[in-house]
Amino acid sequence: MTTQQLAVPVRRPSRAPRGRRVLRRNLIGWLFLVPAIALIGIFTITPFAQAILLSFQSWDGVSSDTPWVGLANYDFVASDPIFWASMRNVLFFGVVGFVFGNGIALVMALAVNSIARGKTFFRTVFYLPGVLSVVVVGLLFSFILAPGSGILNRLLGLVGLSALQQNWLGEPTVALPVVAAVFVWFHWGFGFLLFLAGLQDVPKELYEAAELDGANRWSKFRYVTWPQLAPVTSIVSLLTLLAALQIFGTVQVLTNGGPGQHTMVPTLAIYNEAFVNWRYGSAAAMSVIFGGALVLLSVLQLAITRRRSRV
Amino acid sequence: MSGRMTGRADEMSIASVPAGTAEGGTRPPRRKVRRDKVGLYGLLSVAALIALFPLLWMLSGSLQSLTELLSNESFLPADPQWHNYVTAWVQGELGIYLRNSVLYTGSAVIGILLVSSLAGYALARLDFAGKGVFTFVILAVMIIPAPAMFLAQYKLLISLSLTNNPVGYVLILITSGIPMSTLIMRSFFASQPRALEEAAALDGAGPLRIFWNVILPLARPGLAAVAVIQGLGAWNEYLMALVLFDDNSLMPVQRGLTAFTSAETPQQQILLAATTISIVPVVIFYLLAQRHIVKGIGAGAIK
Repeated sequence: MTTQQLAVPVRRPSRAPRGRRVLRRNLIGWLFLVPAIALIGIFTITPFAQAILLSFQSWDGVSSDTPWVGLANYDFVASDPIFWASMRNVLFFGVVGFVFGNGIALVMALAVNSIARGKTFFRTVFYLPGVLSVVVVGLLFSFILAPGSGILNRLLGLVGLSALQQNWLGEPTVALPVVAAVFVWFHWGFGFLLFLAGLQDVPKELYEAAELDGANRWSKFRYVTWPQLAPVTSIVSLLTLLAALQIFGTVQVLTNGGPGQHTMVPTLAIYNEAFVNWRYGSAAAMSVIFGGALVLLSVLQLAITRRRSRV
Repeated sequence: MSGRMTGRADEMSIASVPAGTAEGGTRPPRRKVRRDKVGLYGLLSVAALIALFPLLWMLSGSLQSLTELLSNESFLPADPQWHNYVTAWVQGELGIYLRNSVLYTGSAVIGILLVSSLAGYALARLDFAGKGVFTFVILAVMIIPAPAMFLAQYKLLISLSLTNNPVGYVLILITSGIPMSTLIMRSFFASQPRALEEAAALDGAGPLRIFWNVILPLARPGLAAVAVIQGLGAWNEYLMALVLFDDNSLMPVQRGLTAFTSAETPQQQILLAATTISIVPVVIFYLLAQRHIVKGIGAGAIK
């Protein structure tokens, strides 16, 4: 801008060096980005594009020949009951994770935030399950929920509730909510940590002002805490939802989608289609459909948050 | 609410002490406060018990004999079977798996720190054309979920002969950690004062020298937050490990555990001991680096 206001004779001689300087500045900037761009380009963007191409091809996972098959894979997936069952199941996980996972996380964050002693202890314990791997969680609960010797059934018997004892992971109607509960156990600590951090950032003056206005506990929550937490709530909601929808390892280790396909989830269906059935093309079609839905969800959520924060 | 206000005041010694104590003393009767508190701690304790129970049961079970574990006798091991751990370690080849996990996690974290602090610094401090484009690409890449890519990543690594190969796995781990870490580092650098960089620039140091000698040493808190959060993620990664490794001697511990379960069909108490061993590093790490973890998760999610 300033150069435009300068007199022409001054501007002219400085032009070449200045151009070189800008070039140098841009070059240095991009130099810092080279490693990131190379890795993301090779290992994220290329495979993402390849997945889309692969969904129009046929591949057995071994041969180097991948003939084009048009929409055959999508045709196949469209009438694949397992895949659509998995989509329905994961929707259930998403809803349960969203409602219960976030609900428990928020209530516990409010509780921990309001106590004087033991804050660190409870925070540490509540997030502990979150540092375990999906494999560990799956293994532990497959034992805990085992029909005969499982500790849950034994405890129920011990307290006289043997009527409730059952094959937790083997009954079609029971297995789905039980796996969802395991997910909530595993994952609520994540939302809890974020809510707790959000609560600690709420300015104390707001509560003091509300108290002066005679606000009771509920109205303080409703008119101070809740609106102040809104940005955290929206990001926690999205991340919990995405985590629930992408659930894989826990289910694979816990039930492997069974009984029947009653706890099948899309990522596991994609994995099985490719690495068990050797149909990579239709697996790729599934991943495009499912991945596309997830991307759409993220974009939608981000757009809504943007708009809300602008108002 | 009074319990809550006094709680705040005790913990943080902030200015609202008078408000808190005044409220606690006058408005709600003391008995109600006490009852509230009991209820609150009751709720928290129940939640803590539910969070801990599976782990406590695992510890206890890992020290029992199989008959004891499957019987209804007691929750605690009557006669701790420490040799379960020896059996698990040897039979489960945990030494190999843990060594692999440490190696993969360590390399991935170092790689992520390097790449993302370079990129984060450029975004926060350097001025160049196309910055906005790169930021947009990073955000877009973050939105692409693993289920949409893992097949094609597998295919790509086959064509690069990088399946069953530590390098291929670590490169995937690094790449998946870059977007979030770059954004964390960017906001960290943006919040730092510029004075030192400017002084170094006046001394004639080039951008790379400034970055390496001045910026990175000062960036330790940001690097620590990224390191712990990505370290946890890399240690617990399972999907790509499952897809990429057939060779047991190369598997990280999560993949190794499932290989052990399916190939050896070990007895339950041995598997519990193996599971316990597998989480020892991550739990110790969590307890030591907690503060950074909380900060890292916060930074990663909110950015």
